[in-house]
Amino acid sequence: VTQLLIKQKAALLAATISQPSYNPAQLHKTGLQPQRHTESAILQTFLRPRLKCIDGELCLITGAGGALGRLFALEFAKEGAHLVLWDCNGAANEQTARLVRELGVRVHTYTVDLSKRQSIYETANRVRAEVGHVSILVNNAGVVAGRRLLDCPDELLERTLLVNCHALFWMTKAFLPRMKEQNHGHIVTIASALGLFSTACVEDYCASKFGAVGFHESLTHELIAEDLNGIKTTLVCPYIVDTGMFAGCEIRKELRSIIPPLEPLYTVQQSMKAILAEQQMICIPRLMYIPFLARALLPWEANVATYRFMGGDKCMLPFIKNIEMKTSNGHTKLC
Amino acid sequence: MNFFLETIKVLLLSIWYNVESFIYLFVPMKKKNIAGEVVLITGAGSGIGRLMAQEFAAHSTVLVLWDINQEGMKETARLAKSNGASRVHYYICDCSDKNEVYRVADQVKREVGDVSILVNNAGIVTGKKFMDAPDSLIEKTMDVNIMAHFWTYKAFLPAMIANNHGHLVSIASSAGLIGVNGLADYCASKFAAVGFAESVGLELLATGKDGVKTTIVCPYFINTGMFDGCQTKSSIRTLKRWCRKLCMATQTWKNGFIQHELVVHGQIHGYQQLHHKWPRLLPILNPDYVAKKIIHAVLTDQVYLLLPRTMYLITALKNVLNMKQAIVLGQYLGAFNLMDTFRGRSRKQD
Repeated sequence: VTQLLIKQKAALLAATISQPSYNPAQLHKTGLQPQRHTESAILQTFLRPRLKCIDGELCLITGAGGALGRLFALEFAKEGAHLVLWDCNGAANEQTARLVRELGVRVHTYTVDLSKRQSIYETANRVRAEVGHVSILVNNAGVVAGRRLLDCPDELLERTLLVNCHALFWMTKAFLPRMKEQNHGHIVTIASALGLFSTACVEDYCASKFGAVGFHESLTHELIAEDLNGIKTTLVCPYIVDTGMFAGCEIRKELRSIIPPLEPLYTVQQSMKAILAEQQMICIPRLMYIPFLARALLPWEANVATYRFMGGDKCMLPFIKNIEMKTSNGHTKLC
Repeated sequence: MNFFLETIKVLLLSIWYNVESFIYLFVPMKKKNIAGEVVLITGAGSGIGRLMAQEFAAHSTVLVLWDINQEGMKETARLAKSNGASRVHYYICDCSDKNEVYRVADQVKREVGDVSILVNNAGIVTGKKFMDAPDSLIEKTMDVNIMAHFWTYKAFLPAMIANNHGHLVSIASSAGLIGVNGLADYCASKFAAVGFAESVGLELLATGKDGVKTTIVCPYFINTGMFDGCQTKSSIRTLKRWCRKLCMATQTWKNGFIQHELVVHGQIHGYQQLHHKWPRLLPILNPDYVAKKIIHAVLTDQVYLLLPRTMYLITALKNVLNMKQAIVLGQYLGAFNLMDTFRGRSRKQD
């Protein structure tokens, strides 16, 4: 909705805008000291923000061996950032590193189990010692148990929470202090649209992604209250991305063409735009703002009626069946 | 059904539900009878848990109380018994320990029977800024505030589903709808609790188990000592007065006995005094009021309960507004300094 508004207003003011896009750094140089949030909020509504330059920055991406992580690594490398890649699957991580090195940036890979706090802290220390200080943190790693609550073994429930939610805590604790010292950094949380509204059958994933959204929001507010305007945060909430993680998830037949699973490249490109524009939150596709707003504005019963109509209550059933078949066939899960 | 017809049906239903919500602002909703139901309340030794136990007792229910604080629980049991509960059982249970939850749940199932109303109320807050809080405390917060919900649901939901009869009450917080500065881990846990309860509610609807109801309670700060010291900045006085008048008008018409206390005084359960010199947009809530509203929500099968009523508007605004605009509004209302004067309880809460 916000993007639409920006575009409309930009079109309206096209004639009056003769100066280049709004750049806060320039304003500071000319001696103008904008009231941090009010003016930037107003200006951002009217002018298309400039994308920032991250050449030479050190970027850490978790879950870099996965589909989204790999694309993120490539996109960040194109922008000139040096990379630190974390994943629990060493082979996939190395493959990503190989692809990224061709773009000419420095890459370091580490195999980390994000469900273990000590593992995160130890690897963070190693990164600080061997590579340097991370200025862009992309929390991309995510898992899903793929079982309904009552059929789900406790270990899988805990694992989902630990990787999707607790890991954010430990990563922030490991890397934020240095960002605060320098008042420079960017924390990106790749949550999910299922962190903004729930669905049936994936209770553990919904709980963990809601937690991630809540933590990110609270952290953002904390940074604002402490006046650390050099540290940016971005929350990315994509709809189901076609990476195989939710293979089988299908909404109602007639609506499948309007709201298909997202393409990973499109998701990553939209996210990059938001990150480089220092946008605080993005829903991909923009259609996802609607259920998000509906949940806040409309009564529960109305939302449930729409939810059922969209086929939301049955959308995860084929996905659950897929996982059941995979585990009964003996396919081992990654990490 | 034909896709086109279904679209029409959904649109009409959506409109109708909105109208229905508006009507229910003025017309009292039908309340169900919960006499004889087995109500399990975690964190029943103090605060809202104790008051809810008393309220549930007044409806002749069987009470099962869980807490780590035995003294508090005994007192609650005594109060509940005197309020009319048919039977009261209490068990010491540390909700952060999965095995203990399962063990005590089995004990409850053996000794009392199937729980039909599950109230996940136990909650803790570290009170320290996230970056300064020790990791073990953060893990404990998550264990009690969200993981415990997983275990209790796993323990008690199967029986509710089998009977297609039950009620799942999740006492989250308004910090489960809006991120609050200074409460990063608490917000994460409460957001997760809200998302989890909603997800389970949707799953129950999807499987056709409409006899198992869900209620998610998101109160603002309550004066029980847990968030002692927190204050909201005083704001738009006229708007506040207008809101209060409207609230009181609808409240008194609907339910004479629910008091909407806006100015809070005095000592409750021996904790620190909280003085408010003038009415605020978001008052620190009176626990009696909160408990009564929660029972009312359970009796009328209300799904979301936000307290006070202005919370509905604030949540809606926060989600609708551009994030930066919302931040500007939040700064204006003093929302970023809520935890600055936090003191908390002198002893640890369960």
